[in-house]
Order: sequence, then structure tokens, then C-alpha cells
Amino acid sequence: MFHPKKPSSMTSHERPMCVQGDSGLVLTTDPKPRLRWTVELHERFVDAVTQLGGPDKATPKTIMRVMGVKGLTLYHLKSHLQKFRLGKQPHKDFNDHSMKDGMRASSLDLQRNNASSSGMMGRSMNDGNNAHITDAIRMQMEVNRRLHEQLEVQRHLQLRIEAHGKYMQTILEKACQTVLAGDGSGSYNKSTATAPDFAQTLSFPSLQDLNIYGSSEHLESLHHQSMERESFIPVSDNFLGKKRSVQYTTPSSGKSPLIWADDLRLQELGPADDQIDSVSDIYETKPMLSGDHEKKYEAKMDRPSPPRRAAAISAGGMQQGRSSPFG
Amino acid sequence: MAMVMDLGFPSFESFDYTTTTTTTTTTTTTTSSTDEGCNWSDWSPVVDWNEISGDQDFQNLIDSMIDENVVIHQSIRPIDDDDQIHEAEYNNSSPEYNMAMQDEAGSAEDSKGLRLIHLLMATAEAMAGRDECRGLARVILVRLKELVSPTYGTNMERLAAYFGDALQASLDAGAGGRLAPGAAEHHRADVLAAFQLLQDMSPYVKFGHFTANQAILEAVANDRRVHIVDYDIMEGIQWASLMQALVSRKDGPPAPHLRITAVSRSGTGRRSFGTVQETGRRLTAFAASIGQPFSFHQCRLDADETFRPTSLKLVRGEALVFNCMLHLPHFSHRAPDSIASFLSGAGTLNPRLITLVEEEMAPPSEGGFVGRFMDLLHHFSTVYDSLEAGFPMQSRARALVERVFLGPRIMESVGRIYRGRETEEGCSWGQWLGAVGFRPVSISFANHCQAKLLLGLYNDGYRVEELTTNKLVLGWKSRRLLSASIWTSQDCDL
Repeated sequence: MFHPKKPSSMTSHERPMCVQGDSGLVLTTDPKPRLRWTVELHERFVDAVTQLGGPDKATPKTIMRVMGVKGLTLYHLKSHLQKFRLGKQPHKDFNDHSMKDGMRASSLDLQRNNASSSGMMGRSMNDGNNAHITDAIRMQMEVNRRLHEQLEVQRHLQLRIEAHGKYMQTILEKACQTVLAGDGSGSYNKSTATAPDFAQTLSFPSLQDLNIYGSSEHLESLHHQSMERESFIPVSDNFLGKKRSVQYTTPSSGKSPLIWADDLRLQELGPADDQIDSVSDIYETKPMLSGDHEKKYEAKMDRPSPPRRAAAISAGGMQQGRSSPFG
Repeated sequence: MAMVMDLGFPSFESFDYTTTTTTTTTTTTTTSSTDEGCNWSDWSPVVDWNEISGDQDFQNLIDSMIDENVVIHQSIRPIDDDDQIHEAEYNNSSPEYNMAMQDEAGSAEDSKGLRLIHLLMATAEAMAGRDECRGLARVILVRLKELVSPTYGTNMERLAAYFGDALQASLDAGAGGRLAPGAAEHHRADVLAAFQLLQDMSPYVKFGHFTANQAILEAVANDRRVHIVDYDIMEGIQWASLMQALVSRKDGPPAPHLRITAVSRSGTGRRSFGTVQETGRRLTAFAASIGQPFSFHQCRLDADETFRPTSLKLVRGEALVFNCMLHLPHFSHRAPDSIASFLSGAGTLNPRLITLVEEEMAPPSEGGFVGRFMDLLHHFSTVYDSLEAGFPMQSRARALVERVFLGPRIMESVGRIYRGRETEEGCSWGQWLGAVGFRPVSISFANHCQAKLLLGLYNDGYRVEELTTNKLVLGWKSRRLLSASIWTSQDCDL
């Protein structure tokens, strides 16, 4: 694609280079003609990319248009852009060329703009080695890029967990419908009655929807209430569903069980020393929590504790049980 | 408070062990007597009780045990007479144990746990030995059963109960026969609750799903049609987040058409919380709710669970992805032949991507059945630990998860290694894929980052590492538990 017009010894490379006069491109006369990204060319490239809003926004096509360099193909730009993005520009393109003032100026600009890498830059500047400066710039850009990507990942993760939770709810809703329609409460034997009792006594947001005995409006209001209590999720507010239920263990201090209990009453479950057949006692409390839980505990005490079979008691119990932590 | 009386502590009444020194000594004597008067040192040459006694960490307990007991036993002498054992039980008491027990008064739980491990190991050794030793194994198991219960007690006790049952079932099934599924059909609501809990308590489920989904997303970034063949779709929850991601992707053609083919067994859908058709309906409804073009198909396996690639409906121009999830909570341990047929069938169709999530086991050592058994024990004890670490007070909830998911899995795994021995491949499916010619696909920075962020939502004992360029491994503390790997069979770049 590139036709060397005349061999020239413009640089001190071992390989004969050639300059295509009008565009100023430096090419090799290798069997495989390659484009040499000189400092000037790279400068123009960087300018174009910055104009277009950064390496992630710029595309080879737009860069080509902006640069307006004849003889430059998309192919060249694609690969150079990719390398630029990764910050892995080969050293040899720069080592043998003297640093232009413009390049130095732009690197200084970057340095001023990126305070966090100032230490790195400072070291590089002290070295006085041009290659190190460009390395530092590349590193900085790489760091920025990674940071940006990490934020993106975090955002996506939230959305995905949300979707996961929503889907889970559809499963649970369908399950309760079938359960209500099918078995009724009578067919549960002791060991398998765990789940519905689980569901009603649990404050798991998603399991709240395993709404076998209650009404949906009631649960919706509970849902909203528990959302409000999400006070210490560091990420965005619209992070619903699964995140809530998994953030139990976030606090790493010794208070963690107690903090958790503030949101969900699971903490009041206590060790499982009770009988299996009294399944509702799964989440009965034991008096081992600190004083501030006494209130909730007492409220729970009022709930009758025999094994749950009848819907009525359960619904009543659920109402009562749920009142305290949200009070 | 009245509550205390309600609950009581029935567990302590029903078992013959207490925290008192004398009783524990008796128990120890019992275990040591199962080798008819032989000293424990014959079995476990060097056990530094004093060193172990101060150790609170369950993990280290097993580790130290496994390390010290690598060199195993002398030959097991067969029992002639049951009476002999009982007599030995009450007479034999090695002085070193009495001393050790007194030192350990403070950590009786650890020593109890250790005894249980010894019991299990003894059983495994007996089962690995000659036929005459089966009787010995049964005796030990009887004793073990008296000590533990699947729902009460510490992690180790519950774990030992499940392992004991698993060993028992393996014994009963015999060397050749396949383990009867045996496990009680769990009530559907139980399964659902346990599933919900498992997801909340641990990142196992989400880790596998999200890692696979992210790899799929990256692989099909520029495609208009995507076809995923799912080996074990269960209730389809993996695809909810993928659909969400597809709908909201910015680059590439918007809203690609997603087609999912679920591989279904020809028998009745056992232990699933819904048939595959229901899953399809649910997925379709979900896709509609978020505006994702979607269609669902089924592909039946043969009666022997072999996958036939020809039974798959393919569309021109679609990006084909094979998804193989083998970890918790995917229930039944599928026959290896079936998995192999699925994966090799995938190879013939040249898919864009193969995503594989499986349990990460240590490579099989020379320990034979016993070595693999101990490794399994270690593996599941880690899982138990990880669940407990996040939810220390909710042993009921954990017991449910254990009953529904972990117990059956233990049962199947033990049965598998008992039957398998040389016949089953010792390597993981990932290694198998590599060996038959699939190319690994690197895990992207975004994927790795997502996994780390995900784990950050859970207890900080979890960690993720990039074991090879195409494999992310989830582990708890120092033990690797789950691996997600990505493969392709094509030569072109993704």
C-alpha cells in the first residue's frame, strides 16, 4: 500500500527509511512496509484523540478525519489506538527520536491535570529520560481507564443483581400461588413446614414475597419500609433486591450481628437449640442480645409460639412480629 | 425470660457426650477400641494433641489432621467377634489420651470434632480395605451415628452426620451398584427457601452465573442473534441478569435476539422446583417484561442422558454458546458420560463459547479412596465454615440449606468416589476440555473486577483468584471451592 518514493537516510536506523513527501509519513522499506509512529505523528494522533474526547470515545475513522494525514489508513489507526488505549506503546518508537517541545508540553499538562500521579511523574521528570515520561503518561492513562472501567463494572453489577432478584421474586410468587392453590396448609408435615414459616417470619426482602398467608399490599408497604432502612449501602440508592439481602456481612466490626439485626430480624434467630418440630421457633429469639433489642424481643414475645399450621395465627403473628423493627 | 425455657437444650440430653472430661475420655476410648486394642498410633501415627487443643479454627484442625495422617495405617485386622470390641471398649484406655483430654477441657469441641474426623477416616479406611473390613466400617458408623445429628451441634457434627450417612449408603449400595437417589423428595417450598437462603448467604450461585454471563456478553458483543444451550437450566435464574445486560448494552447491535435451549432429561423432573417448561414460560415472561427478544426451546437427552448435537435446532448466523453449570445448587451429580457427551457434542458444533462452572477439587492424591474422601471432607467443611461465617446465628437456616443442597451433594460425591476409583477421570472438566482440544478464552479485567466486587458484598473470607488465564476460582480462606472457566473451539479471535 505504501510505495517508498526514494530511499533516504533521514534517521540513524539500521533499516533504510523513506519519507513520503506530502504526508510526512515515515515508512520502512522492509519487505512488510510498516508505518513508523514518529513523535510528530503521535503528537497529531494524541491531539486528534483529545479533540474527540479521549481514547475511549475516539474511533479510527474519526481520528483519521481529524488528523487529515494522507496515507494513513484505518488499519494503522486501529492498531495504534488500541495500543494507545492500553498504554503499551513500544518504547523503540520514541527512544531514537528527540523529544519535541510539544510533546513535553503536553506531558506537562497531563502532569498538572493528574495530581494523583504527581509522585510518579515527579520521579520521571527527575530522571530526565523522555521515555520515562511517556511511560508515566501511559501509566496514568491506564490507571484512569481502569478506574473508569471498574466503575462501569460496579454499575452493571448492581443492575444485574437487581435483575437476578426480580427474577427470584417471580419464582417465589409463582410458587406461593401454586402452593396456595394446591396443597393448602394441611398437607405439610413437620419437617417440610419449614419453608412457609421461614417465609413469613423472615424479613428477607425477597422472601417477604413468598406471601402464603398475607396480603400483597401489606407486603408492599413492608418492602418500602425495609428499603428505607438501607442506610449504609455505599453504592447507589436504586440498588434494590438482592443487594439488600446480601449486605448482612458488610460491617466488619465486632458489632456486625447487631447492625444486621437493625435491618433484618434474622439476628434474633439465636442458636438452633430448639426442637425441630416447632418449626416456627426457628426465628424465635433468645435473650442474648444487647439492650437495644429488648424492645423488638418483647414485641415478639407477645406472639404465640406454638407450631404454626393455621393461616390465621400466622398472619396475625406476622403482623405483630413485623411491627417492631419497622416501628 | 420465658423464651429460654421454651427452647431448652434438648440436644445435650440425648447424647452421651458432655463437656466433662471423663465422658470425653470414654468416647475417645471407644474410637481407639474400634481397632481392637490397637493403639491409636497405629492409625494416626503422630497427632500432637496439645498443639491441636488450642486451635479454634476448624479449618486448621482438618488441615493439621490431614497433614499428619498422610502416612496411613497398618493392615486392618478383621473382627471375629463383636463382643470382643465391646469388651475392649470399656477396658482400653490409653494414658496419653486421658492426659490429652484433660488438657483440652477448654476446647472439647475441637477435640470432639477431631474425634469425628478420626471416626470418619477410620470408616473410610475400613471401606477401602478388604471385604472383611466392611463389618468394621459398619460398627464405626453405628458409633458415629450416636454422636452426631444432621441438625444439631456444631458444623463438624452436622457434617460428620451427613458424611456418615453417605458412607453408610455407599456401603449398602455395594461396590457396583449406583447409589439410589434415596434422599427424600424435598418439598418444593423447602427447596425454594433453601435456594433463596443459599444465594443470600453465599456468593456461590451468583459467582458462577455472573462470571459466565460476563464472558458470554463479551463474546457476543457484536452479534444479532445469540443461542445458548444450557445443560441444567433448573429455574433459569442465570439468564435473568444476562437478559438485563443484553437489553442495556450500548455497543454492538441493540437488543440481540436471545434463544435459549434447555437440555432436559427424559425422565420425570426430579428435585427441580418446576419443570423445564415452566422455566421456559417464566423466562419468556421475564424477557417480555424487560423488552428482550427471546425464544425458548427444549432439547431432550436420550434415555441414558446422552446429548445428541443433532437434536439441536440451529439458526444461521447465530452465536452459539454452551453453558454447563455443575456447582451448587445444581442438584444431581450428572453422570460423567452425560456431561462428556454434552461437551464433546458442543465441540462438533463449533460454538463461540463454552462456559463451565464446577467445583474445584484438589487433584487426586495417591491416597486412593481415603485420600479423596478426606479431600471431600475438607471441601465441604470449608463450605460449612463459609456459611457459618456469614450467618453465625442462623443455624436453622443453614441446616435447611445443608439438608436440601449440601447433604445430597455429599451423598452423591462420596458414592461417586467410592464407586469410581480408577474408572472415573481424576481430572476436572476444565482439564478435560483443555485436553480434548478446546481453546481457553481469557477472563477479562471487567469479569475479574465484577467477581471481586461481588465477593465484596459477602463476608470477606471469600476470595477470587485467576488461576489460569481462562479460569476464575472462588475460594474461602485458603481453600478453593468453585471454578468458572471459559473455552472456545474456534480458531478465530473472539
